[in-house]
Amino acid sequence: MSDRGVVYDLGYVPYEGERRERRGAIATTYRDGLKRVFGIRRRARKKILPWSLVVLAILPAVVFVGFAFLLSTFSPEAESPFGSHADYFSLSGGIVLLFVALAAPELLIPDRREGVLAIYSSRPLRPDDYVGARATSLLTVVAAFMLIPQTLMYIGFAALSSDGFFQALVSNADEIPKILATAVVYTLAYAPLALLISTFAARKAAATGVFLGVIIVGAGLAASLVAATSLPGSRYAALLAFDGHPDFVRDWIYGRGPDTDIAMSNAGFDPWISLAVIIGVAVLSAVLVVWRYRRLM
Amino acid sequence: MSDAPILSARGLGLAYGSIVALHGVEFDLPPGRTGLVGANGAGKTTLIKILLGILKPTLGTATVLGFDATDDMLDVRSRIGYMPESDCLPLDVNASEFVVYAAGLAGLPKNAARQRASDVLTLVGLEEERFRPLGGFSTGMKQRTKLAQAIVHDPELVFLDEPTAGLDPEGREEMLELISRLGGFGINVLVSSHVLGDIERTCDWVLMLDGGRVLRSSPLSHLVDADIVAVEVIGDAEAVAGHLSAAGASVETSGSRLLVSTTDDDPFLLVRDALADTGAGMLSMGPKATTLEDVFLEGSG
Repeated sequence: MSDRGVVYDLGYVPYEGERRERRGAIATTYRDGLKRVFGIRRRARKKILPWSLVVLAILPAVVFVGFAFLLSTFSPEAESPFGSHADYFSLSGGIVLLFVALAAPELLIPDRREGVLAIYSSRPLRPDDYVGARATSLLTVVAAFMLIPQTLMYIGFAALSSDGFFQALVSNADEIPKILATAVVYTLAYAPLALLISTFAARKAAATGVFLGVIIVGAGLAASLVAATSLPGSRYAALLAFDGHPDFVRDWIYGRGPDTDIAMSNAGFDPWISLAVIIGVAVLSAVLVVWRYRRLM
Repeated sequence: MSDAPILSARGLGLAYGSIVALHGVEFDLPPGRTGLVGANGAGKTTLIKILLGILKPTLGTATVLGFDATDDMLDVRSRIGYMPESDCLPLDVNASEFVVYAAGLAGLPKNAARQRASDVLTLVGLEEERFRPLGGFSTGMKQRTKLAQAIVHDPELVFLDEPTAGLDPEGREEMLELISRLGGFGINVLVSSHVLGDIERTCDWVLMLDGGRVLRSSPLSHLVDADIVAVEVIGDAEAVAGHLSAAGASVETSGSRLLVSTTDDDPFLLVRDALADTGAGMLSMGPKATTLEDVFLEGSG
């Protein structure tokens, strides 16, 4: 095929239709972010990882409900061996961590590396709008990751309840705010930090590696230092265990004793301090990301 | 179309620390196609970035289509298109997807964006290749895609930053042809280039920058001086010059080329008579046309 086009004069029709200006630009950037993290309208290899993680996040909930159905059919008296909503967050939290590590760089780095920011700079879009739309894309997907399996379990278990579907929905309604609050906590714990790292990293793989490194190394460092109680102030190292903060707050929300492997708990901190760390890191990350993009666009 | 200036600057200045990129820039550019010329580092891209609202001037003001480039940035960006000099294409999507996206970013609804993208890609000669990934495009195809995204939303004004950069002669011809046609679509154009010939071919006004200052802002037609005749003589040029001087003309000689001007008589008639009387021949004769290069070299010293 020739790489040289031929110019046909088919005339030019001026556009006189609707222009949504800034509102349209923000919505387009947001929708593009959703498509991008799932690899939609991109090559097949860009779809493999995100969709695998989607399946991993949802499949256990489907399996749990399926087994609960079999159990209720064949052994109605038996107690369900499946975990609660709070337990499921432990599972989906790990998957969300991986998803965020992959999605945040995909949202920010290609636009910078390929110079596409110059196009955004010629459209009715402020730097804050761009960052806001991209961040909202990520937050939407992460929240959906958390909430879809929880919703499946909530509705599935209600459908299997011996009290009847609607009665079970009503009697378990106090779970809903807990589920929503916990999803928000996990989302805020991971997404802003991943976006911050992606704002300064030059390559997607580097951003993913650094983000997972901060989480994993932080957790290991915190556990080691907290265990070394002879060192003065070593308990404050627990603040570095970013993966433990949302778990600690989740247990607080559900009103149950914290897991024994949560560094913050072992160091004697209250859960609200973990919540404060999550919010503080999220706010600081947002400020730094906006600052950087105001200089770039 | 109104004759009000589409672009204006008053005392515009910008400095990066101690480096002055623009200094005391003033101009009023009329509707149509304007060439922004200057050597590398003259301040062309800096000026475009100020007009787009990307950079904030440290001194003075700039207006675009009547809007302040800094304070009314969103109003400006709703009405303009921009083709950057640098790479700006995502390599893993096809041309159609990208141009649809660019239209959406300008606020066009989804269906309108698809229709406009299809029309504009056809217009720039990429109808056949529009579903191919941009990563596999040649430089010429990439430049045409960049132009397509700049005009897909039918802007009132489009900034083209070095649109022929990296193109082979044939690709350059096609790009210049497209730029020349934009005026006919009702789209005003500011073309930045350091290739003066490109500006002479496509524009009707020129804004010349040198070292961050305006060297000239005028219609290109002003570069043609009808009162001076340039004649290329075959034969004894000095004899022709002497004959013209004797007839009262002012003559500037440079080898076989004579520049002839008079205060009273028609210089063309004097040249005709001088050639006839001396028996010399003539290779060419016409009004003295100053090239942009002449003006640039003269102005920049």
